[in-house]
Amino acid sequence: MRRAATIMAAVLALGASGVGAYQLAPSPADGPAHWREIAWPYPRDGWPAGRAFRCDGACEGARLYVRAKLGFCNCDRGVADDDEVDRVTDLDLISPRFTPVAAGETVSFGGLDGRARQYDLDLADGARHAATGIALSRRCDLLVAVVQGAGEAHVMQRAALEFLKTQEMKRWVTAALDGR
Amino acid sequence: MISRAQLAVCLVLFAGSTCVHAQKQQVIGAPPEASNMKLVGTSDLQARSAYQPTIHHQGDRWIAYIGHHGGTDAVPSPVNPMTGQAEPNGTSIVDVTDPAHPKYLRHLPGQEGKYESGGAQMVRVCDGKTLPKGDPNAVYMLRTFGGEAHEIWNVADPANPVLVTRIAGLKDTHKNWWECDTGIAYLVSGAPDWRTRRMTQVYDLSDPAHPQKIRDFGLPGQEPGATGAVPTELHGPISTGPTGNRVYFGYGTNKGGILQIVDREKLLNGPKEPTPDNLRYPEIARMPMSAFNGAHTTFPMLDMPIAEFAEDKDGKTRDIVMIVDEAILNECGEARQMVWFADVTTETRPMMISSYTVPEASGQFCQRGGRFGSHSSNESMAPVYYQKMAFIAFFNAGVRALDIRDPYHPKEVGYFIPSITSATDKRCIPVEGGERCKVAIQTNNVETDDRGYIYIVDRANTGLHILELTGPARAVAGLPKN
Repeated sequence: MRRAATIMAAVLALGASGVGAYQLAPSPADGPAHWREIAWPYPRDGWPAGRAFRCDGACEGARLYVRAKLGFCNCDRGVADDDEVDRVTDLDLISPRFTPVAAGETVSFGGLDGRARQYDLDLADGARHAATGIALSRRCDLLVAVVQGAGEAHVMQRAALEFLKTQEMKRWVTAALDGR
Repeated sequence: MISRAQLAVCLVLFAGSTCVHAQKQQVIGAPPEASNMKLVGTSDLQARSAYQPTIHHQGDRWIAYIGHHGGTDAVPSPVNPMTGQAEPNGTSIVDVTDPAHPKYLRHLPGQEGKYESGGAQMVRVCDGKTLPKGDPNAVYMLRTFGGEAHEIWNVADPANPVLVTRIAGLKDTHKNWWECDTGIAYLVSGAPDWRTRRMTQVYDLSDPAHPQKIRDFGLPGQEPGATGAVPTELHGPISTGPTGNRVYFGYGTNKGGILQIVDREKLLNGPKEPTPDNLRYPEIARMPMSAFNGAHTTFPMLDMPIAEFAEDKDGKTRDIVMIVDEAILNECGEARQMVWFADVTTETRPMMISSYTVPEASGQFCQRGGRFGSHSSNESMAPVYYQKMAFIAFFNAGVRALDIRDPYHPKEVGYFIPSITSATDKRCIPVEGGERCKVAIQTNNVETDDRGYIYIVDRANTGLHILELTGPARAVAGLPKN
């Protein structure tokens, strides 16, 4: 009885903490990327909190923020252009001062279509980080993600997209877009 | 082991819960739900999803112009029974001179496309004799054409509109405002180079055949070439014209709302290049709302005498802006969207003073299907209701009549929830492995005419319902007993 209670408590504690660890398959060029879930760091706004992760592997120090924004998308056009990525991703949570460095590109996975765009972020402490904003739509709903850090933008972007394509994250994305 | 008594209790509880559940859903054939409001007449509007109604007194007739969303997945272009042709949703033109027997005059097709992406959702009307340079024999209808254009039609003969002009090349449009006495129009447009879907293009439409652009306007950060965070997009403005010299802009839908108070004279005649400084120049104040709520309608009611303050040495009258949010998610999938009253008497320090929502439990509205929450108010400033009563479209809770004579304490005095029909379209939510759909009224917009009739239209294709007040609600407006 006591053993079962201990196991249950451990399961609940792990589940309630929301902390998980994810090991991605090694990428030939950059080695393994390891994403560890951390607490959502931003104050409450119009959308429920999403999930935040820190990269401990090839994209050391990068942070990834992912969340669903239900009803925030043009139901027919989806994420039609780069302006939409500027508007809907959570870059402004990290810093209101961000500048796109290039035109974005189309991104698709798990039945979601949208765009990714790279930015320079000017942080409050004067540091400059690279970031990628990702916005994907399913009918009227959005999944948005931002990966940012001091590393190479394309390395962080690739690691983030690979992570988002894992089965576990795809399951979570589907549930989040279903409002569950 | 369950005892017989326990079993009996369970059965009673189950039966009760089933009964309660049954009351949540509207069924075809059931009567409308109403309090102090009565149905006068209906039009099915050819089962087209309806947005903005405008009621215009035209000679000795009363004409309703009703904008429509695009079609649905099931019926992208409903058949117009008057022509026998499938037509993309556009504008319905209905003679409501006899409100008990509305006469459908014409369907004017809009842009092809479904839901928000097609149709001709918005409509405003000005008489040519009122516009400074209009044809005095003309009646001009300004409407959106999907997201790509604004159009002006001469509807002097409302059954046979004639296109006058078109302002095209836009990426989105929405709820315009047109000052009939000056011709100045605040067109909610998406200029292609702006960073937001919706901003304002100010036009001089005093001569509708020759539109003159005055300027583009929006919040700093939305303009071309800006970087960083993009402020909330525009929903619609309402101007008090040259006399009031204010334009009240509402930004947002169901999130991050902003009320912006703008000096009209500075807006029209100030520097026009869309730099951050020039965009800030006409702004008097900006009131950010909670991130939970947007600002769909910002309806000014200035210089209102407040009975409670009558003996006060100062502040006996107040300038009030009623702000209506828009619910967008079905079955309460978001924070409650409702009605707010802001005291803007001290313009640079506007303050929210009260709010109103339909009590959810009064109709178990989160269970009924479709959207529950506010969408819009009437925008007529005709004396019959202005500063006395407001009518709020509340989706599956129908229309709500509010006594707003004391805006510090708004009070519901009536409501009407139309019956559903076979035309009423379903509303769905995602569930594991698919979706679950329900059918419910979705009262989208409401407008009033100078006679006191109330016109509500349905987003779920149920058509137009013309209502009148009854009982104590008539007394609030000072209407004679009926």
